[in-house]
Formats: sequence, C-alpha cells, structure tokens
Amino acid sequence: MVRERCGPARRVAVTGVGAVSGFGWGIEPLWAGLSSGRAAIAGFGRFDHAGHRTHVAAEVPALPAALARRTSGRRLSIADRFALSAAFEALAAAGLPGDLAGEVAGVYFGSSTGGMWEGERFIAGLLTATPRLRTSLLASQQVNGPGDAVARRLGVSGPVETLSSACASGGLALGAALDALRAGEVDLALAGGADSLCEITYGGFNALRSVSEEPCRPFRAGRDGLSIGEGAVVLVLESEERALERGARPLAFLAGAGASCDAHHMTAPEPAGRGAAAAIRAALADAGLAPGEIDFVNAHATGTPLNDAAEWRAFVEVFGARAAGLPVTATKGSIGHLLGSSGAIEAVATVLCLRHGEVHPTPAGGEVDPELPVDLVLGSPRPLTARAALSTSLAFGGSNAALVFTRAGA
Amino acid sequence: MTGVAITGLGLVGAYGLGTEGLAAALASGAARGAEIDRSAGYHLPDSARSAILAGNLQLAPWVHPGEARRMSPPSKFAVAAARIALAQAGLTPGGGEPGEGEATAVVLATAFGPASFTDQLMRQIVREGPQAASPFYFSECVANAPAAQIAIAAGARGANVTVVEREAGVLLAVAKGAAEIASGRARRALVGAAEEIPPLVHALLDRFRALSRGAAGEEAGRPFDRRRDGFLAGEGAAVLVLEREEDALARGARPLARIAGWVRAFDPSAPATDWGTGAAGLALALDRGLARFGLDAGGFDRVVSGASGALAGDRLESAVLRAAWRDRPLPPVLAPKGVTGEYGGGFLSAAVLAAAGMPFGPTAGFSEPDPELGVIPHDGRPLAPPRRLLVTGLAAGGAAVWLALEAAGAAP
Amino acid sequence: MAEVSVTATLRERIKRLIVDSLHLDGTDPDSIEDGEPLFGEGLGLDSVDALELVVALEKEFGIKIKSNEMDRDAFSSVASLASFVEGRL
Repeated sequence: MVRERCGPARRVAVTGVGAVSGFGWGIEPLWAGLSSGRAAIAGFGRFDHAGHRTHVAAEVPALPAALARRTSGRRLSIADRFALSAAFEALAAAGLPGDLAGEVAGVYFGSSTGGMWEGERFIAGLLTATPRLRTSLLASQQVNGPGDAVARRLGVSGPVETLSSACASGGLALGAALDALRAGEVDLALAGGADSLCEITYGGFNALRSVSEEPCRPFRAGRDGLSIGEGAVVLVLESEERALERGARPLAFLAGAGASCDAHHMTAPEPAGRGAAAAIRAALADAGLAPGEIDFVNAHATGTPLNDAAEWRAFVEVFGARAAGLPVTATKGSIGHLLGSSGAIEAVATVLCLRHGEVHPTPAGGEVDPELPVDLVLGSPRPLTARAALSTSLAFGGSNAALVFTRAGA
Repeated sequence: MTGVAITGLGLVGAYGLGTEGLAAALASGAARGAEIDRSAGYHLPDSARSAILAGNLQLAPWVHPGEARRMSPPSKFAVAAARIALAQAGLTPGGGEPGEGEATAVVLATAFGPASFTDQLMRQIVREGPQAASPFYFSECVANAPAAQIAIAAGARGANVTVVEREAGVLLAVAKGAAEIASGRARRALVGAAEEIPPLVHALLDRFRALSRGAAGEEAGRPFDRRRDGFLAGEGAAVLVLEREEDALARGARPLARIAGWVRAFDPSAPATDWGTGAAGLALALDRGLARFGLDAGGFDRVVSGASGALAGDRLESAVLRAAWRDRPLPPVLAPKGVTGEYGGGFLSAAVLAAAGMPFGPTAGFSEPDPELGVIPHDGRPLAPPRRLLVTGLAAGGAAVWLALEAAGAAP
Repeated sequence: MAEVSVTATLRERIKRLIVDSLHLDGTDPDSIEDGEPLFGEGLGLDSVDALELVVALEKEFGIKIKSNEMDRDAFSSVASLASFVEGRL
C-alpha cells in the first residue's frame, strides 16, 4: 500500500540562499543589483554574437579568485561551477557544513541547459574537424550535470533529481523539495537550478523572434521580447522545527506549490491564462491562503507580448478586481531569463523581498501597458512589509509552476 | 490510503508497437540490434556500431501525419505510446468527464532529449550561421517537448514534469507520478520515458566507453556476465497509465500491477559519467526507504534488475543487491536489458510485464557468471508468478531509484 | 510577358518552399492556390510555421525579414508573399 502524506503539513523554512547572476557571484551583489533598478543585461563575451539577431544578455562576470577553489574541478561545466558556488554560499548562510554525508538530504534542481555550452563546443569542434577534441568537454554535458555535481561535492546520499520542463523547472524543483520535506523523505533539501549562456538557446529563441534587441521591458506597452540570462541559485530548505532546534533563523517559509499544464501549444501560452491560473490557485490552496492574502507577485514576466498578456489574464482570473493595482515585480527585467533555473532564482528574489521588507524594482523604461494594469514596481524599491508573496513560472511547452512564500517573524 | 494502479502500458520501439514483440523477445531471450549510421563522422574509428533502434515504425494509427510533421522522434514515440496506453486502459484521451484533464499529470524521463534536432540546430548555427537556426527544430529540441506533446494529445492539464537522470530517470518518473496520485494532487498520471539514439548520442556514449564494442564477439548487453563490456543503447518510448486503485476498480478496469512504493538515493562516489562504489550507502538508503512503505527486502520474490552489461554499473548493482539481502539468497533476478537496451522505456515495459506475470526466458546476453559479482540472472526455467517485485535503476553519475511493484491480485 | 513568368516562377518557388520547409509531406505544391489563406484556415499553418517559413525565405532569396514585417497581410497567401519577396529582391 502506498503511504499518503501523513499528518498536517509542517512549515518548511528557507534557512540559507546562494546565487550567481549577471550582477555577480553572491546574494549580496544580486540584491544590491536588484534594488538598484539597474539591468545586468548588456553586451557579452561568452561567444561571438555578431551573427545572431540580438547582441545583449545577462552574462555572469568572471569568477572571482576567492571562489576558484570551491568551484574547481577539471570536468566541471560553467553551469556546474555556478551551482557549486551557490550551494556553498547557501549552506554557509544556513550555518551548515559543506559536507552533508551525515544528513538525510536531497538535491532538487531545475535546468534547461546543464552542460550544453560545453557540449556545443564539442559538437562544433566535430563539425569543423577540429583536431584533438577534448572528450572531457562532454563529461558535464548532461542537463542533470549541475544538480548531480552539487550532490557529489556535498556527499549527498538522498534523492537527487533534475527537472527540465523549460521555464517551469526551477519552480517545479522547489515544489518537489517541499513535498519531500513534508513527507519526511528528507530532513534537508537543497533546491535550485543552474543555466549558462549557449548558442542553441540564444539562437533558438532568436529564431522564434522572441528576443528583444534591448533589455527586456516586462509588462510595458511596446514590449518586444525577452532577454536571456545565466547563473545559478540554491535554497536550503528544512522544517521550521529543525531550523529552530539548531538555532537557524528562517529567512521565509515556502508555504505552498502548485503546477499545471496548458496542453495548448508548444511555444505560445494559452491566451486566457487558464493553466497559469490553475497553478496559482493550486499553490494558494496548498499554502492554505486566499488570493486576498497575497501582498505582491514576482511574475514570470518575460517581456514578450504574448506571455505578459496571458499572465495578466491569469492574475485577473485569480485576483479579480485586485489584479489591477497588485504590486508586481519582474526579476527578468534585471537579470534576464535564466530559462530552467529562472523559477528558482526568482523564488530567491521573492524571499529576499520578504526578508528585507521591500519589493525590488524592475528597471524603469516605458509605461506599463494599459491593457495589463498591474502595479509594476519600477525604478526604485517599494517598502512593503508583505505577509505572503506569489512567484509564477509559465513555461515554453505549457508547463506552469507557482510558489507561495510567507514572511518569517523578525 | 491510496493505492496506485497501473492500468495501461504503451510501448513503441525496436519490438514494434505495443508489447507483443517485446514479450516474445523476452520469452525467447533474443535481442534485436541494428547498425547505427556512422557516416556523419561523430564516431571514433573503433567505436561501437549497434543499438536497439526503433527503425521504421508505422506510427500513423496513433499519431496523425498532421501532428507528426511538427514532432521530433521522441515526441512521436511518446505520443504514440501514451495513446496506446490510454487505449489499453480503456480511457479516451481528451474525452471523459469535466475536470479529468485537470486531474491528469504527465511525468516523463529522457536522458538526451530530442538530440537529432539539437544536432540539426548545431549544424545550422555552425555551418550557415545563427540566423539559419530553425524555429521548429528549436521548439522541439527541448527536453520537455515529448511531455508537452503528450499533454496536448491527451488533454492532460495537471502537473507536467520532465526528469533527466540518465539510467535512473524512467523509474524516477514513475515514482514522481505515483507520488502525485498518492498526495491527492492528481487522479491519473501518464508516466514513462522517451529516447532517440541518433548518431550523435551513440557517438557520445561510445566516447565514454559506455557501449559494448563486442569484446566477446558480437556487440551485446550482457547483464552480470563475466565478459560484459558495456550496454546497448535503446530508443523508443514507454508510457504507463497510473490511477488511484479505487478509481480503476470503480470503473471496472483491470490493473496490470500496482505500485507499492519507491526509494530514491544518490551515490556521491560516482564520477559524472560512470558508476561509483558506494554500494553500502545505497543499500542502507534502500533499506530505510522501503521501511517507509512498510516493506523490506525479504518481502520481494522477484527482482527486475537494471543491470545492462555496464562494467562498473553491474558491479555496483550486484553489490547493492547482495548488501540489501544481507546473506540471504536473492530471489530470481530478471535482467531484461540484454533485450531492451538502456533507455527508451523497454526496461520499464519489461518490469510491468513481469509484474503482470508474463514468463521470461533465459537472460539475453548472459552465459558466463562473474564470480566477482555473485549474482546469476534468471535462466529461463518456469517460475511461479511473482507477488512483489523490486525494480532497480542505478544511473551513471550517482542517482538511484528503486520501485516496488505488486501483482494486481496480490494482497497489499 | 517576362514579368508574368517571373511572378509565376516566384509563386512556384514559394509553394515548393512551403512544402519543403514545413515538412508538408504528401502535399503537392501545385495544389496550393495562389490566394488560399496560409494561416488559421486554408493550409492551417501557425506561428511557428510562419517563423520557419521566414528563415526559409531569407535563405532562399538572400533577403532579411524584420520581425515587424511579418504581419498578417504580407503573409496571408502565396500571392501576397510573392509580392512581398519581389519587392525585396
């Protein structure tokens, strides 16, 4: 007989976070960058983009010397290194050691690219008959490379999974971690994601004419596409009980998760936003909260005409009249779209907003589209002592994920 | 308490559409290998040359040509398998009661995704320039394309999840789907795996010496055999229909088997592209995990082993099994990957067929026991139908998933 | 007379391009009417097909098509596409 989830849901706390983004290596540069209202989206050097249709992205700056040792390893991909850095930072912040061999711990990751960059270099080498190609370029090629690399480096022995459901991956990964903790399958979860800039994804989204030539402008009138970003994030999750027992202070609580699928089209969202609304309602129900209790939303908000419009319809369906005037932030305007790991890094942005008592802004530029009249926090941070926040991910291929976070006491 | 029943199984691959071809191959112990096209120049000169390929499948009864033109090979396999499974379960995709779609989840595994399209995209980008990149190839080259296509074909609007964990992926997908139902979030789940093995993927696997190069004569996957030298890669897709046991019984469906539990763990001693040596830790995790479902190793009367002929993989598998059973003799161990190959859903199908009581013949690829391993797979003698089976999946890179299946009629 | 045959050839090339680039196996290019709607009804192509066709047109005719030129009018039928392409050659 299969055992159902037992007992009332225990509260699951976020006790540490780590990140790598276009603003730099660490949570501090991420939060400083988000708060500043600047965009980390600009020209980049990872590959020669002269032949591509657009020429900006949110590239992670060079690895600081201080982090070289903890992210070193001969066969690690760039995304692996991002992931390791974020994992070590998150564990340190949570007051936990970098060796989890004694724990019942799991790793729950989301990624679209994994080691794709390195795989691309290998394939390109084959296609151009480059002599003496390093097979080691392929060692990290898998999408599950970064998640496995984190588990391996930390000595994790519990469940390890990488989800690759496009832009919903990170949100779904956090949902999986939440389930595992509530069910007592693990005592500790490292949830997150890692993605790096690749020509296939950069070129592919450009082929779909989905990429803006300028830094993206979510929810703005005249928005014309997304911006691609890269980086990684890890959240340390554990039961509130355990956190308090060991003297760790929760940053926020992951109160609920919901998921759905549009089952509509491979690239376009269902225009009425019904699938997204279903995921949001499921997350709210899972958190035991009513829509009216959400104080701000970290929207998926890619900046494409279709996504933002569909997402607005989803907000209307769930929040009704409150949708107009609902405080919204669009993290992608600052750090770009991290694809598979976007849901995870935006979850961290949401946690930081709750922690700091302010909603981070989206870089200013242009008017909010009057057809989608959200209260977009533009330019400078909005002080807001929020009790609960929603983070949404609406993926390519129709998979939707929603997360609800609640504030931890001061 | 919610039981999870398997009420449909759809398979497409080297053994045709449906499970008849596979069942015959498993009964006779005969594998259907095919030669891989090495003309693209991806392969090393002395590389492996064969795989369990899907060949020219006539998918038209299950995938309309109008749909198929926009699908990658794994998507076509996956949609066909899903529809076959739903038909077997007596369910109409997209039809049925209101709210049924919302309550149907999809969890699919892939190791390499629609790699032939990724290959095409790279060729376009490198040879013609980035602006020659095909929007169609890109939209269908993502790992989640098959799962997304299943959702559209079946009107499945519950959670849609794609897992990537190499050889452990397929069992992970089943476990996650079962968990969706056990938690009450879904009433039904379409779960399984889809894989294509284009020359690029075959060459990649070969470069890591994962594939059999025919050290013992022909290329073959030789589970637990002393002469094993790697596995055969398999392509195709398998999809199971999972539903709440009470729903299945209420509508008069006859389950193929039921899912009694699942365990997940990781071996951090494994390098990224090979198996490790952490058998003790894995066996401990297996023990602990089974206990959460009120199960223990002693309660299984059959093992369906993921051993594939991989050198380190089969060694680890043997060590874990022996440690889990402590010094007790193992029950009969079925090792179907000599027939099904690795990836593509054949292994999952074989496991469900085993749980449904189908007889297995001698283990394909095996003839010489390896004294280091201490495990001898099934020799084909008649066995009583199993009551409870442990299905094993250890991945290169460290992930591990085990599934506990029960015969449909057996008392829980 | 020469112009008419250039246009006719252009339309034929575009029909062939549609069939090839969009994998419309089994569709005879000549069976596509010059004025038949390509998207929505008629041939029933969608947004990804439109993008795929644009890449194929750019390659075939050596032209560049900007995103804001991909509007319904220019792309509504083979005839309108042919005029659009001709204007760019």
